[in-house]
Amino acid sequence: MPKLRNSRRCVVLVIGVVAAGVIAGAVVAARLDDGIPADLEAALRDDPLVQVAGIPAENGLAGRGVFVQRTSAGFICLWDAPSATSSVRQGGCNRTDDPFGGRELFVSMAYDGGPAIAGIKDARLVGVAAREVVEVQVLMSDGTRREIRLRKANVAGDEYRAFGYRFKKADLRKDVTPKAVIALDSTGEEIDRQATGFAG
Amino acid sequence: MKRLTLALLLSLVFCTSAWGAATTYAGYQYWPAGQGASTSFSPSWFRNTFYKTSNFDTTVTFIDNVSYSWHSTVRSSASYVQTHWLSSQTKKAHCRANTTGPSWAACTAY
Repeated sequence: MPKLRNSRRCVVLVIGVVAAGVIAGAVVAARLDDGIPADLEAALRDDPLVQVAGIPAENGLAGRGVFVQRTSAGFICLWDAPSATSSVRQGGCNRTDDPFGGRELFVSMAYDGGPAIAGIKDARLVGVAAREVVEVQVLMSDGTRREIRLRKANVAGDEYRAFGYRFKKADLRKDVTPKAVIALDSTGEEIDRQATGFAG
Repeated sequence: MKRLTLALLLSLVFCTSAWGAATTYAGYQYWPAGQGASTSFSPSWFRNTFYKTSNFDTTVTFIDNVSYSWHSTVRSSASYVQTHWLSSQTKKAHCRANTTGPSWAACTAY
């Protein structure tokens, strides 16, 4: 009989320790998940993407899509991705009540290699612009500008001007680099400027 | 005693799996411009995110442990920024504030 009692105690002890482990694991996971709200995480995974522009394939680099994702978690996201179903997305989100994050352009820049300019192999710029924006340009460090073509896009009833742009290899040199992305209104006045970080 | 050891090992597995799911490797109320943070090096990192409660200019990237080059870098002022790098190479997730961040923001890697 004492042997049977000891076995039961042991089983209870094992169950207790395993349960403690599960709870501890859940607590650790919950704490570490503090970085991203759970509803945003679920929405990023489940809500559909709408293509608003594209970046064509060139010089051995694959084509990319520019996508907008209106999420049920109250965020609007802008993605640079191989396809609408790809989970390997690069970009970000702003709150739906402030889709441009207090600016006129919602921009995301992605690149491979670097951080020194000579090591960068593929640099892309994707974005959506506010209604006031009629032109988007890349300002180079030598003062010259590269014009970016805007494309009208409708996402869930809201109209956007979207763009996707791949920096030319010749524009990623030590002596001349992309300095900023600028937005111009209908009078030609600059109404937003966002640094690329490549120059100064 | 053997059972107790097994139970402790199982607990460790649960904790480790929870840890491996997501690691918030930096979280501050205030991010001075230039402030950066990184995970340890591991081949298992594949996603790197920066969640902010206000908009400021940030970068997320992966840095390999051979050439220390950056991979799948994303720079944006969006309130949430994300990148992926599906590579078996040993790497660390790295995030950085390019301008001052005035409120809570955190970097999480998976």
